[in-house]
Amino acid sequence: MKTIYKTVIGVIVMTIVGITAVACSSTKKGYTDVPDTATAAAKEEFKIEKSGAQMWGETCNRCHIAPSPADYNDTDWETISLHMRVRANLTENESKKIEEFLKSAN
Amino acid sequence: MKKLLVLLIAVVFGGQMYGQTYNTFEPSKTQFMIRGYGHTGFEYMDSGDETESTFLGLAYAPIFLYKHSDRLMFEAELEFVLEGNQLETGLEYADVMYVLNKNITARAGKFLLPFGTFMERLHPAWINRLPNAPLGYGHDGIAPSSGIGVELRGAFDLGGPTLNYSVYATNGPRLNDGSDEPEEAGILRFENYEDTNLAKAYGGRLGLLPFSDSSTEIGFSAYSTSDTGEQDSEYEDVGAFLFALDFSFVKQISGLGGVVDVKAQYNNSNVDTATYFEIVDGIEEEYSFDNQSNSFYGQLSYRPTMASSDFVKKLEFVGRYSDFNAPEGAEWEEKSVQYAFGLNYWLSWRSVVKLSYQTTETEGGHDGDGLTNTDGLFVHWAIGF
Ligand code: HEC
Repeated sequence: MKTIYKTVIGVIVMTIVGITAVACSSTKKGYTDVPDTATAAAKEEFKIEKSGAQMWGETCNRCHIAPSPADYNDTDWETISLHMRVRANLTENESKKIEEFLKSAN
Repeated sequence: MKKLLVLLIAVVFGGQMYGQTYNTFEPSKTQFMIRGYGHTGFEYMDSGDETESTFLGLAYAPIFLYKHSDRLMFEAELEFVLEGNQLETGLEYADVMYVLNKNITARAGKFLLPFGTFMERLHPAWINRLPNAPLGYGHDGIAPSSGIGVELRGAFDLGGPTLNYSVYATNGPRLNDGSDEPEEAGILRFENYEDTNLAKAYGGRLGLLPFSDSSTEIGFSAYSTSDTGEQDSEYEDVGAFLFALDFSFVKQISGLGGVVDVKAQYNNSNVDTATYFEIVDGIEEEYSFDNQSNSFYGQLSYRPTMASSDFVKKLEFVGRYSDFNAPEGAEWEEKSVQYAFGLNYWLSWRSVVKLSYQTTETEGGHDGDGLTNTDGLFVHWAIGF
């Protein structure tokens, strides 16, 4: 049994480290390059379409009921966004976009 | 003339002093917030031959958040509860976190453990849809709730789906070897703030949100340690391996007129077999058992958010099943099943009045060998701020 679970842990740790390495090696440039094919352009458009407001509605309801923008001021939203980014393990993109929306709509 | 000069000076300097003291135009770069939550309630319990009813003293949990920069932050939660006539205090967590890059954040201190999702994300009274935790959590639970150590966590955007992870090393649990409390021999205690041996506990969680609407998340957590006993005791190298599976689905479904919320978690704990001692008729006897425990809960709740009536909109209906199985042959052998039903009224996004009926069937447990049926009625009020 012991060897089995040590192997399981080993595999999990290696997968995580591997994914981290791959994700960190992709430079930011890759995201901002202007796509030259039609499909890439469409994809890019789709990405832009998902607004901070929509992400707020989907993401901030997952654990508790989502607070509305008016509940806090800009300074508070900055602290809360960082707190939630770490606690809820949100991506940088999600937390930045939602923070922008909350600050623009309060 | 002199008087006028003094008055002028006073007005000019006074105005400047006032302006400097109450300058609200420039927000400060560092931010400090006190938030938190409190809850209180009434409970009525009936276990056949015993009934009790009580109002609960308010539990108050202040949370301190200090944001130093866009990357560096500190969080801490204190807990104040009345136990009998005593004020019990606790430090739920206190940790520093630093965002290393877009995919990695480091944390250190005492933090809530991402072993499944219930303890880290769902247990605060204003988040939990029912007045209490499912079976398998809390003091006699098998899922670790917090740990002292270091952690790396973060998330990846997979272009629609997202993946999140965390890996940590903590002081790890302590095995109750029965020397002080023979009836608890074999139980893992996670409130181990000073390590009793050199081995640490290692663990982590991987969560996947497969759909771009973030409605669904599945997670796998593991927690492993090679030693749980006291250093240099015969129990030192009793190891333990725990794992958990969790599921979450939250979505507003127009066809159903509201938000459907499904949460579930399965916990499994496997502690290496060891020999313990019990006193039977004044004679010390050895015994041993297969030290495996597990627990499960599944919860479904529904909020009719699209209803036309303002009152109905704020209602929520909840049902939860949970079970807990402690190892056969242990002094604390137990098989329990619980059904909980609830009706909630949301006064705000962080304040809720919960009415709940629960029925629990316990076979064995700390209190004896027989079968006990306990019915409970709860009215709780939780508020976050
Ligand atoms: C994965 C679960 C989860 C998600 C997703 C989540 N939260 Fe939270 N949130 C929590 C928990 C847990 C707490 C309570 C923290 C505590 O008490 O330790 C909390 C607390 C809060 C608080 C109270 C102040 C504070 O920082 O503690 C606010 C405000 C908040 N969340 C806003 C948000 C917003 C906005 C979003 C969307 C970006 C969000 N939450 C997404 C779990 C979550």
